[in-house]
Amino acid sequence: MNARLVNRGLDALTWLVLLVMLSPILWLVAASLQTDGQLSRGAYNLLEPTFTAFSRMWQTVDFERYLLNSLIICTAAALCATAFASCAGYALARFKFRGATGLSLGVVGTQLIPGSLFLLPVFMGFVWLKQNTPVALFDTHLGMILVYTAFFTPVAIYFMRYFFAAIPRDLEEAAMVDGCTRFGAFVKIVLPAAAPGLVATFVYAFLFAWDELLFVAALTQENAETIPIGIRNFIGNYQERTAQLMAAGVVSTLPVLIAFFATQRWLVKGITAGAVKG
Amino acid sequence: MAQTTLQPPPEARPARSLPLRAGRPRRRRRRNWFAYGLIAPALAFMVLVHLIPTAGGVVLSFKRLNTFTFARLFDAPWAGLENYRGILFDTANPLHSGFFGAVQNTAVYTFWTVGGTLAGGLAIALLLNRPMRGQRLVRTLMLAPWIVPSFVVAVLWQFMWQSDVGIINKVLVDYTHLLSERPIWLLGENSMWAIVIPSIWRGLPFAMIFFLAGLQAMPPELHEAAAIDGAGPLRRFRYITLPLLRPLIAVQLLFCVIYATYQFAIPYIMLGSNPGPDADLMMTLIVRQSFSNNLFGFGAAASVLLTLAMCVWVAVWYRAFKRDLEVK
Repeated sequence: MNARLVNRGLDALTWLVLLVMLSPILWLVAASLQTDGQLSRGAYNLLEPTFTAFSRMWQTVDFERYLLNSLIICTAAALCATAFASCAGYALARFKFRGATGLSLGVVGTQLIPGSLFLLPVFMGFVWLKQNTPVALFDTHLGMILVYTAFFTPVAIYFMRYFFAAIPRDLEEAAMVDGCTRFGAFVKIVLPAAAPGLVATFVYAFLFAWDELLFVAALTQENAETIPIGIRNFIGNYQERTAQLMAAGVVSTLPVLIAFFATQRWLVKGITAGAVKG
Repeated sequence: MAQTTLQPPPEARPARSLPLRAGRPRRRRRRNWFAYGLIAPALAFMVLVHLIPTAGGVVLSFKRLNTFTFARLFDAPWAGLENYRGILFDTANPLHSGFFGAVQNTAVYTFWTVGGTLAGGLAIALLLNRPMRGQRLVRTLMLAPWIVPSFVVAVLWQFMWQSDVGIINKVLVDYTHLLSERPIWLLGENSMWAIVIPSIWRGLPFAMIFFLAGLQAMPPELHEAAAIDGAGPLRRFRYITLPLLRPLIAVQLLFCVIYATYQFAIPYIMLGSNPGPDADLMMTLIVRQSFSNNLFGFGAAASVLLTLAMCVWVAVWYRAFKRDLEVK
């Protein structure tokens, strides 16, 4: 009897914790459905939502451009990172070669360096290239894609190595008996079998690229600025338009939210790869 | 800045050689070349964007790089150890006190953020590990805060923390009367909490799924046996769950500390490029001095010191958890 009561209580507590965790997000949505004036006066009327903030935010700052830049840069970078990482992850999962341990350590090591240490030289390198060569990396999509690809490749390697290790070797061996080359077996047999892993890795890299602020703040000026910069400009110049700012927050969260929930099962598997192997 | 989930590979055994035609040295070398070809693109990018610029950053920390010399880029004059001396020992230098203030704030921020994230993540994982109706839905929805981008977290909480119209003060003062005066959150002493709490809120789901996976992988027999022997839930947690989770806690601790120490977006967006003496973190200080004040030499030197501090942390961590990592 007592145990049942405790169980009910813990169930209720779980739902309460969920509500508390979700409440800031609910508040973000609720605030975006008010007007700027209501929010600045603190006179909310949650029962009468309005979409004016969502239609006005696009004029206040050039949010369309930021959104488009974010989509282009993050998609391209996440694709490249996933492609490179699936090659490197496959090599680490299947072959024993000199330097494999060094590479694994180096992959972790990249995470140990603060962005500010290699941001300065990258920044100066981009400026130098702009001044002295026709190579345009400063404030271009290409430059940001290059940087983000490098950023998210290390983590992606860990993801892909885990997914490849879960695929039985017999698959490739059978394909090679049938006359496939080693690379052919990798591309035609292993990669399709690792498709969920590829998707999870892509989404993971995309999520982090979407969130990146430090490098895009330093390495862009007007052409290749992404959403975080748009939000910063919003705060800097139109802080009083709070409802629009909240609407912009909703718009910048939606793409990653959809990508995450669509691939959630595989993504969680990749993230918790280390936890379950024990 | 993605760094929270690096694990050792699930399969550390050496690759079994293929049954056909394998074994001879020549064949083996060809296999190695194939492996090198596969890692080449990733390696090239990491060398180009991580390794060379990091070396460049170390070099720059020994240069006098400021507004006047910036046009010369990498040819800026050498400064020897001047940047480091200014930061560490020159008490007349305003950067000196700014640096140590930021070190202290970063330590406080990291301590509370990591502690809150791991403790909260474990607590919620324990809650979600119980069978209940709607379990899958709750587990999925609980992840939502982690998906909200940091910069959105920062603008959202900045609005929620507003003293007059923010929802937090409305709840604390107007609705529940827990407090009689409206606290000011975004200035002064409270501003540290204004960045710590949203950071915990966003990081917690990540720690949670990690611990939840560990809890689910645990053999239930241990708990059953201990329960039969008369151990209550608290004792079972203390003597079974916690020791089994130690390797997971170790990995989480390592990367959470690094991630929190390098936090930039939340304080920068919420409190501005200068969050004030109570909440200025290492990253906001370095970025402000480098890019607003053009003190690039200072920024590089401070970054090098920060890297060294992290290396010390990794060494300490490794000594503390060496045994747990070997078990696997």
